[in-house]
Amino acid sequence: MALDLSIIADNAGLFAKGAVATVYISLAAIAAGLLIAFPVALLRLSPRRVMSWPAMAYVELFRNIPFIVMLSLFFYGLPFFGLRLQPMTTGIVALALFGSAYFAEIVRGAILSVPRGQMESARAIGMSYLRALREIIFPQMLRFFIPAATNTSISLVKESAVLATLSVAELTYQGLIVQGQTYAPFEVFLATAAIYWGLTALLAAGFRASERRLGGQGRRGFSSRHRLAARYLSLEPEPRS
Amino acid sequence: MDFSVEAALAALPALLRATGTNIAIAAAAMALALAGGIFLTILRSLKIAPVNLAVGVVISFIRGTPVLIQIFLFYYGLPALGLQLDPLTAGICAIAFNSTIFISEIMRGGLADMDPGPVEAAIALGLKARAIWGKVVIPQLLLRILPPLVNEATIILKGTALLSVITVVELFRTAQQISATTFRPFETMLAAAAIILLLNVLVSQFGGMLERRLAVRRG
Repeated sequence: MALDLSIIADNAGLFAKGAVATVYISLAAIAAGLLIAFPVALLRLSPRRVMSWPAMAYVELFRNIPFIVMLSLFFYGLPFFGLRLQPMTTGIVALALFGSAYFAEIVRGAILSVPRGQMESARAIGMSYLRALREIIFPQMLRFFIPAATNTSISLVKESAVLATLSVAELTYQGLIVQGQTYAPFEVFLATAAIYWGLTALLAAGFRASERRLGGQGRRGFSSRHRLAARYLSLEPEPRS
Repeated sequence: MDFSVEAALAALPALLRATGTNIAIAAAAMALALAGGIFLTILRSLKIAPVNLAVGVVISFIRGTPVLIQIFLFYYGLPALGLQLDPLTAGICAIAFNSTIFISEIMRGGLADMDPGPVEAAIALGLKARAIWGKVVIPQLLLRILPPLVNEATIILKGTALLSVITVVELFRTAQQISATTFRPFETMLAAAAIILLLNVLVSQFGGMLERRLAVRRG
């Protein structure tokens, strides 16, 4: 069978509207998620159980419950607490909190990746805890933080598709609408997927640019000393001699 | 409206029965994905340039698009290619295919971190490629990537809830159906969330236990 591209062209407006909404939702959730992640990570790192335990429970809750279930909990649960939000807002809040749990673990790992002595020296020369974090720890943890945070950001863009179940007019929802009108699921979902692919590729490209600026070492190749074993242990093309 | 604990408890038996479906789907998808991941890894190790290029595009596509859309493609899209699958089969295939890609990427990382010594020894001893993969590389690789594999298993388990959108009657869809008759969606969803949370924690714990036991055996 041939792909009927006119279906995509005829509905380009809906796809574009959906893509814009998906970008808006994802960016809002990523920004809010990052903001929430820092205090959660700091609490999680606290030596005091009363502080670290709730932060750990928060992270585990969001990481172990499927987002589609979480979203529906927010949708039906928030009104119980007197919060009546638009489905779009509910979706962004849920996605941001979901993301914050993953971001918090990355922040925690990134802070732990900086040698202890850095914080101890900073405190020893009289910096406050927060100032040491800001001026000594944060700049050093970026190398660890940015690649992992990019992956989570990409996950959030993909996870935002689930908002379609609340009839939020984002990309997947528009895809379902176009599919309902045209009965051409193959073309429609392939086009939808292609747009997501483009969006996530854009994010990944932005990350690579920032990695170059920070002087990351990139992907390391398989040592040429072990060319024999590389027949089995490396999936990259053989290095030229 | 007040929160009703009774509504949550009343939904539990039906929800627990439905969870069996999620477990079965996840087990099938995990088994397929593990086999697929091993196959794809060996295929990529042959370093046939056009094949690896094609595999690379598929990996990028699967990693760059939502699982939900992949599920739609398998269920609604494949009939256009003459392949009509029932929702359950389409769902298992979609999740397994997605996970195959992620597991093959986990394996790529695992291989790069492996000690080349045993493989070199095996080659020097003249072992056939089949034996090197089956007796040297794969067993050590699986041991090494156990933690990310357990993590992948929990991702698969969470992914099974997405099959509700293509009408597979699993935990989440059952919760929706119960909500529609009792008008207690929050309580029902809370019960469903608790079940899957517990299940995922159990899988993680089991994975941790397995890791410790194998670490002892590896000595």
